[in-house]
Amino acid sequence: MAIRDDLITQITTNIAAHSNVSISQELPFDQSGIPLYDKNMGVIYVDEQELNVEQLYRTLDQGNVNQTTTTVNAYLSVDAKNEYSDINTVVANLLIARNVVTNVTESNSDYETEITDDVITYTFEYNFITV
Amino acid sequence: MAVINVTGGDVAILSLGNSSTLAEPDNAAVFQIPLLQDVSVSTAPGTVRYSTLDSTSSSAFTTVVENEITFNMLLDDDAFFGNAGVTDNEVATNGLWSTSNSKTEVFFSISFEGDTTASGGYYLEGKGFIGGLAPSASIDGAVWLSPGSIIVNGDLTKQTL
Repeated sequence: MAIRDDLITQITTNIAAHSNVSISQELPFDQSGIPLYDKNMGVIYVDEQELNVEQLYRTLDQGNVNQTTTTVNAYLSVDAKNEYSDINTVVANLLIARNVVTNVTESNSDYETEITDDVITYTFEYNFITV
Repeated sequence: MAVINVTGGDVAILSLGNSSTLAEPDNAAVFQIPLLQDVSVSTAPGTVRYSTLDSTSSSAFTTVVENEITFNMLLDDDAFFGNAGVTDNEVATNGLWSTSNSKTEVFFSISFEGDTTASGGYYLEGKGFIGGLAPSASIDGAVWLSPGSIIVNGDLTKQTL
């Protein structure tokens, strides 16, 4: 199962108690060049995962060991003027969803916000390193 | 005259065997240590310095040569713990750990230019004892790593394939 699928499953579980937020599995998630998370506030969209493979060890017999960094972004937009009272909990639950991915040497998640007009867009970034 | 390029993946090879024949690089039953990160050959003549009244510089004479092979490797389970399926080379059967632990003398060769007769390459051969194994693991390293050495018993001999 792809890391993106694991994340969607875990986020679905983590936000089950928050009725004002839901998650979409849709890909791609734009319409006429406009991201759907800008139109559908309160819906989390998870982007396709991106892989970056680097050489971790080189050996004299070319038995090289690689490490793969998988990056997944997720987006959530909410009304800036009427932000959910539980938005901090929702954000925390989205961040810890990374723990569902196991057998990694490193897993990180963070987010940043951007306010455009009356909309706050939360952009989450998940990084997983596997060998 | 040219540098010896080792990037091909089949040039710098450390091979072991329980006889000198089995340790030859092109022997069908040779045990080639996989996943070596580096290998070093150290040959250090012992010297004694002395001074005489008629010279302002010290003089020296040599004693014995101490030879050692050192290496670092990623651990391969068969190479380290042995492969019971190998019946024609006891070092491969027992693996590096058991061979070191039992202090069994092994024969070895270090290929400098590959392991095929066609290469006509140079290699060094000798015998000695496996030591210096210190496997370690960390989450940052992700895999088991170990240094190792062969404490050479006697000479390193130059050979060609």
